[in-house]
Amino acid sequence: MPYSFTQIEKDKSRTIGMVFAFLVLFYFLAGWTIALVVKNYFFFESSDEVQFRGFAGLSLTETLTALGIAFGVGWLHWTYSVHDLVPRSLRVLKAEPLSPNDTYHQMLQNIIEEVSVATGGEKIEGVVVPTMAMNAFALSDFSGRKVIGVTEGLLARLSRAQLEAVIGHEAAHIVSEDCLSTTVTTSLFALVNGMLNGISQMFRYRRSRDRDSLGGFITVIFLILMVTRFISLLFRMFISRQREFRADAMAVRLTRDPLSLAQALYAISQRWRGAGLAGEELEAIFITNPKLSALDESEGLWADLFSTHPPIRQRLKVLLDLAKADVQQLEDNFRAQLNRPRQDISSTPAPDPREWMLNREGQWIGPYSLIQIATQDWVTPETWVKKANGSVVQVFDDPAILELLRQKNQAQNKLNGQGQVALDGFNLCLRCRLPLSDMHYEGTIIKKCSTCGGALVKENDVQRIIIREDVSFSDRVKRMAELTAQSMKNWEPAQTDLKTAQLYKCPTCPHPKPTMIRMFYTLAYPVEVDKCLYCGQMWFDQDELEILQCLIEKNTKQGSLE
Amino acid sequence: MIGWILLGLIVFAVIAFVSIYNSLVTLRENVRNGWSQIDVQLKRRHDLIPNLVETAKGYISHERGTLEAVIKARQQAVNATSIKDKQEAENFLSGTLRSLFAVAENYPNLKADTQMRQLHEELTSTENKIAFARQYYNDEVNRLNVAIQSFPSNIVAQVGGFQKSEFFGIAEATERDAPKVQF
Repeated sequence: MPYSFTQIEKDKSRTIGMVFAFLVLFYFLAGWTIALVVKNYFFFESSDEVQFRGFAGLSLTETLTALGIAFGVGWLHWTYSVHDLVPRSLRVLKAEPLSPNDTYHQMLQNIIEEVSVATGGEKIEGVVVPTMAMNAFALSDFSGRKVIGVTEGLLARLSRAQLEAVIGHEAAHIVSEDCLSTTVTTSLFALVNGMLNGISQMFRYRRSRDRDSLGGFITVIFLILMVTRFISLLFRMFISRQREFRADAMAVRLTRDPLSLAQALYAISQRWRGAGLAGEELEAIFITNPKLSALDESEGLWADLFSTHPPIRQRLKVLLDLAKADVQQLEDNFRAQLNRPRQDISSTPAPDPREWMLNREGQWIGPYSLIQIATQDWVTPETWVKKANGSVVQVFDDPAILELLRQKNQAQNKLNGQGQVALDGFNLCLRCRLPLSDMHYEGTIIKKCSTCGGALVKENDVQRIIIREDVSFSDRVKRMAELTAQSMKNWEPAQTDLKTAQLYKCPTCPHPKPTMIRMFYTLAYPVEVDKCLYCGQMWFDQDELEILQCLIEKNTKQGSLE
Repeated sequence: MIGWILLGLIVFAVIAFVSIYNSLVTLRENVRNGWSQIDVQLKRRHDLIPNLVETAKGYISHERGTLEAVIKARQQAVNATSIKDKQEAENFLSGTLRSLFAVAENYPNLKADTQMRQLHEELTSTENKIAFARQYYNDEVNRLNVAIQSFPSNIVAQVGGFQKSEFFGIAEATERDAPKVQF
């Protein structure tokens, strides 16, 4: 019999009640102290005879008033914190909804549904945080919204079974409802911390330029941050570190797979967990503390009171006992996953096979790919085509080409006679002016030119592609990545003259099409990309995307292993 | 005095009866809910299989035996009505699916097919959901059966006409991992 539901209800309401009482007590003490100081100071200064009249306490009425005000302020703070709790937290964490075109996100959605079945049909929503860090969290609020979030880094680097175990752990928090009290407690101060942290980080980068005008503002933010950090430390007393053990145990009951959970925890503990992000202030909601904290890893009364997570060592020990495995196995698994075989995409067929011959004025020309046919203005439904298998038909008998012509026609009609470019309905390659075709790459869909190999990728997808490690790189790409890294050492800013360079127009934005800017992905990774500042589409020439991935992967691997 | 004590006992007995009865009803509803979840997932699997076979046909049409076995097993599973029949038919279906994916391993083109990968993921997920739904169902059946047989709830169960439920069995211990063929 699991942790019984009446027990859960009791625990939940007790913790939440206690947190509220503590909040009121905090405001009461603060108000009382201020009142006391004001009263003593006021009496001392204003009395006619300069003499010390002793320490003036507060009368009963005054104390009661202070209590009333504290209750009021506490209530206001409480209602403000609890209102729209999940959406606000998600904003601080920069979480995004799952995309239906992304195979990784689809897998996460499936896993969440699976675990939800195991809990007997709990409704749970999934989100992702686009960061390389590895962590996962659960949130819920009084409106009954329940959310499990996973970072892209975790999604890309854990196996399916391990992800399932992690989601099981988070679902356990939700089912046992300790998630609600954790979210509420965290929200009181830590959420504000998160926002302030974000603001102060934003200003940190500009500090050198306008230090004078913003100096005061930053100081105030830092002072507030110090106070709220201290208070949220106090509030951690209400977040028991035991709840992580309980959730681990329940995850094992849900997914019956202690080994995978242990492997996942081990992998998370070995790599970057997300320290330095805005969300790290909400540490209590994560599966492991994003900050590497000595307090969490230690034992004893002090750590029990003020830490939010139990030592990873202990959690692993419990799970390994259940799974009858040892740490060496975890280590081996971790290594094996780092060096898992990659998919070699150079051997997969090009996304756009050329299998059609066209008959133009009695001559067979080609072979053409589907997309190339679209660019030929003379193709009509009566044109004869020869397929790769030798059959000869007219276009209206070939559903693929007919559909293409239909789309082309629609696109032309949409232009309503202005008809500057016949192929406006398609996304054209910036170099070859041929339509781009969709290609599955690293779990997302990118638009690739089958002729020149350039790729058009959405900004969000670039981040995801960089984090994921599905494909292997050819020796050519590796060599070019090395050269790029070397060229960085003796790099001069004025190597390309942007003014004379031919700049592209964004292929996806509506008319008038904005000009894309040419830039390096970042100065640390000097790969040249063209970016549309309006829609965030990025254009990579052939191999450039792979080179970027190769460069970044090399750095992160060095960071985590050496 | 004795009258009061008797009255108190009766009141206590009534309250106990009502609360036990209600908890039994909850358990029974959980079992039904669990069963309907299994049913939903089984249906989903049956719906996915024709697509899978259709996609695979394009690449491995000459592996006729494997494909036909899957279709036949699916038909049996769809037609099964009693819990016991369903159990057997579904386990058999899992077996044939496993062999289909094992065959697919040998065809790199089939493995690389996007639609095939999506179907594979969907089917893996459904397979896991079935396993989890069965796990949940069996847990709840277990709780109900224990409650029906143990004192004092067995008295209430007798009066209220609560029946023991059947477990949804697992053919082999390893079956849960069965179709997790790595692509």
